[in-house]
Amino acid sequence: MKNKIIYFIPIVVTLFMCLFFFFSLSNDTSKLSSPIIGKKVPEFSLVSLFQNKENFNSSALYSKTPKIVNIFASWCVPCRAEHDVLMLLSKLEGVEIYGINYKDDPIKAKNFINELGNPYTNVGIDEQGRTGIDWGVYGIPESFIIHNGKVIYKHIGPIHISELDDTILPILKDLK
Amino acid sequence: MAGSMSLTLSFIATFSLVVCFAVSLFQMRYFFSKYEATIGNHLLLSTIQLASCLFSFLILIYVFLTSNFDFQIVYSNSHTEKPFLYKLSGAWGNHEGSLLMWILILTIFNFFYVISNSSDIKLRNKIVANQSFLILGFLSFCLLMSSPFILLKENFSQGLGLNPILQDPLLAIHPPVLYLGYVGFSLVFSFAIGGMLNNKVDKEWASALKPWILIAWIFLTLGIALGSFWAYYELGWGGFWFWDPVENASLMPWLSATALLHCIIVLEKRDTLQSWTILLSILTFSLSLIGTFLVRSGILNSVHTFASDPGRGLFILLFLAIVLLFSFSLFASKGSTLEKSGSFGAISRESGILVNNWLLLTILFIVFLGTIYPLFIDLILEKSLTVGPQYYVTTITPIVFLLLIFMTITPLVGWTKGSINQVLVKIKYSLILSLTLAFAISLYFDLFSITQAIILFLSFSLIITTLFSGIKFSQNNIFVKSILGKTLSHAGFGLFILSVIANATYSEEKIYDAKVKDTLELNNHQFVFEKVNHVEGENYNSIQAVFSLLEDNKTVKQFMPEIRFYDDPPTATSETSIVHGLFSDIYLVMNVPQYQDSISVRIHVKPFMNFIWLGVFMIIVGGMFSIIYRIKN
Repeated sequence: MKNKIIYFIPIVVTLFMCLFFFFSLSNDTSKLSSPIIGKKVPEFSLVSLFQNKENFNSSALYSKTPKIVNIFASWCVPCRAEHDVLMLLSKLEGVEIYGINYKDDPIKAKNFINELGNPYTNVGIDEQGRTGIDWGVYGIPESFIIHNGKVIYKHIGPIHISELDDTILPILKDLK
Repeated sequence: MAGSMSLTLSFIATFSLVVCFAVSLFQMRYFFSKYEATIGNHLLLSTIQLASCLFSFLILIYVFLTSNFDFQIVYSNSHTEKPFLYKLSGAWGNHEGSLLMWILILTIFNFFYVISNSSDIKLRNKIVANQSFLILGFLSFCLLMSSPFILLKENFSQGLGLNPILQDPLLAIHPPVLYLGYVGFSLVFSFAIGGMLNNKVDKEWASALKPWILIAWIFLTLGIALGSFWAYYELGWGGFWFWDPVENASLMPWLSATALLHCIIVLEKRDTLQSWTILLSILTFSLSLIGTFLVRSGILNSVHTFASDPGRGLFILLFLAIVLLFSFSLFASKGSTLEKSGSFGAISRESGILVNNWLLLTILFIVFLGTIYPLFIDLILEKSLTVGPQYYVTTITPIVFLLLIFMTITPLVGWTKGSINQVLVKIKYSLILSLTLAFAISLYFDLFSITQAIILFLSFSLIITTLFSGIKFSQNNIFVKSILGKTLSHAGFGLFILSVIANATYSEEKIYDAKVKDTLELNNHQFVFEKVNHVEGENYNSIQAVFSLLEDNKTVKQFMPEIRFYDDPPTATSETSIVHGLFSDIYLVMNVPQYQDSISVRIHVKPFMNFIWLGVFMIIVGGMFSIIYRIKN
């Protein structure tokens, strides 16, 4: 009879696996360090979301003034939460924010911006997510501070207004 | 607003799926033993299931071929200027379409099972019920969360195109073939459920099941091989297997299916290992499901991942949990009663097969751990971690040693009770031959690493022993038909391992910055950079670099690696230029030119690639021979 117990092992293993997958699915990965920091930005050329603008190229990030790259999508709820902070940030002097619209429907992305305001100098469409992979995206929103084509800082998850004062602005100030 | 034509198409396609849903729900009553249907009844209903899904799938293909941009899925994935084949494959090259294809294949297997002379009525009822349950689950997912027939409110005259890296004929057929494998194991799973519900897991059950395992296994092997062949010549990374999570996701069911394929032989011949067979059947299908889950949920970020929507991941997880908990509960309550006490000695073919089963499952566990571990660490310790190929190579190699030894010996041992002497008599000449060969080759190439020499020896002994015992010199028939399949597959596996090792040892690669008229040298090969061409393709422009391979100052081969620029969406892809030689492939890849006067080019010399593919081909053809032999007898 004691042999019978081994027949229950698969159930136990399954339960553990399912729980594990469940938590992985809703895992907050904002504390991950990123191998991209200190490296050059990946090469890319993305079509602009705005009809009157040129492609958004990696060359736009080779500049002495720091730039912010924000990866977002209209389906991403935290992106909505973050948007006000980005709007605020974009109004500060000498700050340019570029967007990469990740795995999104361009129409929905446009509606998203029309509705909430446009903090972006330019937005590139990355519908298949390939450029996102090059940037090492785990989960969006993610924001990068770029200086002279180099990644200086990476922020995973929505930027909270307090983080703006504590980390983002001091870094930008240092770079200037 | 979408036209009335599109509205009608969308409606009838969805309606057709609803019909299939209703029929499947109805079929599920056969789970209860008081319902029993005649073959005619099953035939009719499984035909309706198949026809309704096929109809809806054909509509999907039709809207892709006619570039009907009223459909969201077509708008997002297609383009009027895309070549015909890729408009067609666009239908399943995305999340929604591939899900519909998955369901279609479920109904296809269900249909072919019903028409294939399935004599055990009770078993058939349960299998049909279980297949319908699976169809129902995936249909709900399709209808509720990922319908391919959603219309757009806006009008568009042009679509957003398809990822050009996916515009490749091999990749157009890779997913369907892989799915035929994955989904094929649904039937194996249904057999396991049916067998448990009816308390009848015996020789007869095993004989009915075995061809289906073989069919699914052949498709899975072929699907994996196609994917890896594509990666080899398209991605330009110079390899054919990258231990990418999605590749691993297809390897795991393959390992468990291969174990199953062998243990079903024991059940069929010796009427033992019942619960082990059941467990492997469930495991194989679960791994197919987990494979789908990992890809679809976007938990693992990879080239393969389609749209990541956590809601979808949650649904698949829920379905996976229901299927697994249901089947494993059944296993817990029935497993011990199914087991018959067929005993066999420690040295017997049964033991050998069981040991090989364990070895395969150990590899499976290693791969599983490597795939899951980064997620686990991420969840528990909140650190990011990458598991590289080195992990897999170092951990799997010793197990491959053992696998090769047991594959060589096991087929020579008698059933129930064998002896070591009996094996030694049969094996001694091939052992001496392989030892000599391995020794000679190691000396000749002057690369004497113990590990490589051992693998060389072991794979030679597998190949030679298998061929010796496979070939019986009788008058008309060189091969004994019944073991032709096994002989081919096993020898193919030996050849595969042998070539992989040789390839890993002797591969070379180097990166150059080259200007026109430069000469590059690698490993006694001289390459001259002749010129740069601009080429216009069907839906792309490309820059092509022309290199000549020189031998005695004469051009023997030309290489033309390309960078293709697609307009819609604007992407650049790198096309490798490969010259296949019998013993060695030479492989040139160029990088996207920047603002500079030289281009960056990588040269790979990859020996024995042909033998790797030949090994895989033999494994697959061996499986096919086994099927043909079974059908004939």
